[in-house]
Amino acid sequence: MSTVDTSAKRSALAPFGKPFAAAGGVLGIVAALLPWVTFVLNDGNWPDKSTLQFFDAPFLVTGFRWHVLLLGILVLVAAFAPIPSRGRVIRALGWGLTLVSFVNSAYITVKGGGLGAITALDGATAFGGVVGLVAGVLTILAGYGIGIEPVGEWKFKISTPVAYLVLLLSFGAVLYAVAAMLTTGGVGSANPYAGAIFLSFLGFAAGVLGALSGVGYVRWLSALSEQHRVFSVIVLAACALLLPFTEAGNEYWMTVAANIGIYAATAIGLNIVVGLAGLLDLGYVAFMGIGALVAANFSGAATAYFGFDLPFPVAAVIAAVVAGIFGAIVGSPTLRVRGDYLAIVTLAFGEIFTRSAQNDIGGFTNGSNAIPGVPALSLFGAEFNKSISIGAVKLPAGVLYYVLIVLLVAATMAVFANLKFSRIGRAWIAIREDEDAARAMGIRTGKMKILAFLIGAMLAGLAGAVFAHKNGTVSYESFKFLESVTLLAAVILGGMGSIPGAVLGAALLFVLPEKLRDFEDYRLMIFGLALILIMRFRPVGLIPDAHRRAEMVERADENAEEAHVEAKKA
Amino acid sequence: MSTPVLEARDVSMVFGGLKALKGVTLTLEEGKIVGLIGPNGAGKTTFFNCLTGLYTPTTGEVLLKGNVLPGDPAKVTDAGVARTFQNIRLFPSMTVLENVMVGRHVRMKQGPLASLFHGPAYQRGEKAARERSRELLAFVGLNGVDDELSRNLPYGDQRRLEIARALATDPAVLLLDEPTAGMNPQETEATQQLIFRIRDTGVSVVVIEHDIKFIFGLCDSVSVLVQGELLVEGTPEVVRADPRVVEAYLGKPPEEVQHDVEAAAAAEEEQA
Ligand SMILES: Nc1ncnc2c1ncn2[C@@H]1O[C@H](COP(=O)(O)OP(=O)(O)OP(=O)(O)O)[C@@H](O)[C@H]1O
Ligand SMILES: [Mg+2]
Repeated sequence: MSTVDTSAKRSALAPFGKPFAAAGGVLGIVAALLPWVTFVLNDGNWPDKSTLQFFDAPFLVTGFRWHVLLLGILVLVAAFAPIPSRGRVIRALGWGLTLVSFVNSAYITVKGGGLGAITALDGATAFGGVVGLVAGVLTILAGYGIGIEPVGEWKFKISTPVAYLVLLLSFGAVLYAVAAMLTTGGVGSANPYAGAIFLSFLGFAAGVLGALSGVGYVRWLSALSEQHRVFSVIVLAACALLLPFTEAGNEYWMTVAANIGIYAATAIGLNIVVGLAGLLDLGYVAFMGIGALVAANFSGAATAYFGFDLPFPVAAVIAAVVAGIFGAIVGSPTLRVRGDYLAIVTLAFGEIFTRSAQNDIGGFTNGSNAIPGVPALSLFGAEFNKSISIGAVKLPAGVLYYVLIVLLVAATMAVFANLKFSRIGRAWIAIREDEDAARAMGIRTGKMKILAFLIGAMLAGLAGAVFAHKNGTVSYESFKFLESVTLLAAVILGGMGSIPGAVLGAALLFVLPEKLRDFEDYRLMIFGLALILIMRFRPVGLIPDAHRRAEMVERADENAEEAHVEAKKA
Repeated sequence: MSTPVLEARDVSMVFGGLKALKGVTLTLEEGKIVGLIGPNGAGKTTFFNCLTGLYTPTTGEVLLKGNVLPGDPAKVTDAGVARTFQNIRLFPSMTVLENVMVGRHVRMKQGPLASLFHGPAYQRGEKAARERSRELLAFVGLNGVDDELSRNLPYGDQRRLEIARALATDPAVLLLDEPTAGMNPQETEATQQLIFRIRDTGVSVVVIEHDIKFIFGLCDSVSVLVQGELLVEGTPEVVRADPRVVEAYLGKPPEEVQHDVEAAAAAEEEQA
């Protein structure tokens, strides 16, 4: 159905493709240079002096207007440079322009009092937003006019040193983008427009990422990084370790980034169960909870079950093992039930965990009073939650936790990658694809599925142990159904079976609420809406696994072939 | 007489009220190719499923080299019986090479720890598995498509890939369920040659096929299954001449079938 739509659009728009792209690009640049607000809003200047009164330096573009300018230029480049899948790239850039313009215009309208603020009022004019929107829509149409071809494929091979350089630069850019994403709009409520700035930034990032993926760069890069797995993990970890030295290097963002890291590590574990083995787990966060509780009870906290404290590494290992045992127990019904029924079993387990933790069954959880006062970790006398200085450089508080968690994420990634490309990983994927065929290949599917649950749960338990010390309080409240669903959403959103996908998914899902404090009550709604939109327009996830991507391709050709065979038989 | 490599004794299978198999007995001598033919719904695939442990037969037993096979597909494969499926069941989003490497699963020794740490022994095992898989792909005639996704292969190639994947388990017995369905005459001919070559490597084969020309040209012995019952069993010549087969198998007037059969015989002579 959708193919018919696009082809119809293409035929009508075909002659306008390039002219529209040119017009869209130029208008985008113009929009960046125009004022966007006719007066100063109550909460102060709309970001980066895009208010008319402050429009004294029109060619000094900053903030979102810099993004609009950049998108305009990119549209022009994409329209005239020889690139693969031009239509796709231009459409993505058009969406970027549209989103940035829409977010800013809508927000000004709502906050500043009506449409006058973004058009003309009292003799002043501010058509930046309108022109930006027109540019965006024109560019999207241009994309359809040029035609949506398959994502570009880059066939050429490069030598290892060049590959290393490319990976280094690309991951460096990712680091920069992450730092920018974290810090746009500033901390908490310091900036009245933080939420809008952030959303606008996401629009820009989505446009650029879409263009890069359309032109084939993302696919090529992910193939490259799978080829050089070890190097990629090391570089990524190194890049992550540099984050404290960027703008994001303050206590607030270190804490947020560390929390993201904990959930990212957990999401990677879940990705083994869901993404590789194809087993839907709706109660996964319970394993993280179990890990956290075990660690808390061995931490020497006042209300801990055991009156002594174990060194953290020992406690962490015990936490992982206990969580793993529970994982194997929960996984054992997979021998009998499949699909939706298994999902229900895991859902029930998650619920059992919360209820028993709430009621302090066994005395391990301290019920609704939680276990407070879990001491911060320390190494050689340096407490992980204090700031430290290396020579002359003073690093923000929480940086040691951040480092620990980066290492944790890197380790989980390595575990995931190594397993994925092994006999066991292949068996999991085979089970996901066709369980009966997998058994016919000699795979003991029952054992393998329990193993997936066990390893996934161990990783979650480990992350939970770090969580306990980092947050200082362990309460069942942190491990409820909503968290399980969010983790699952992170895995699906990022791309099932893909490692960078799980990290990106976790980052987005756990940063968004932080950034959208502005919108308070609408937070979950925006969140859900975004998820629905992404699943509608990019069902493979943001950074899909190379294999998974193919699976989502229309099955029409296959059906046609089956019909052919039937016809031949008859 | 030596023990047959595969022996099904009096296998029956009942689904609710439906008797899909009624005491079927089949013997496969080492190094032979046995054909299994019969009309749609005769129970051929069901018989394969009973042989491989996917179904547990209501009565009867299956022996491999004199030992009773366990009722678990994974263990049956481990013991040395591999199969392909009538409706191709590859792992669609794995590459061609990975599909065959899944077939090596049961012959590889890596446990969870080796898979986690990728030590030297692990690397050697992977390399060996990869090489063996490439050999098998070349053996079935699939070259230069290692990194394609299996679902993107043409139909005939998917069937051959399924055979390579089954061979990767180092089977003593290979069960092929309609290996030429949907193939053109050239591909069918190539498949026939492939099955001969497989037999020549010492693997015994059972083939289900509707194409009687193909079966008579290929098999040392043919069994005819009709409504769950073994109707006739014998060399192609014997089966071809049996009037009950002619009548029951295709349900056509005998002359017409006779014509088909003669055409098949003629084609066969042409080849020779
Ligand atoms: N799992 C099952 N449950 C119930 N009935 C089944 C099952 N599997 C097969 N049957 C029935 O058993 C009978 C034999 O089916 P089977 O698939 O073995 O036939 P076949 O000889 O392979 O036919 P074809 O040539 O069409 O492949 C059919 O009537 C089928 O409906
Ligand atoms: Mg059949």
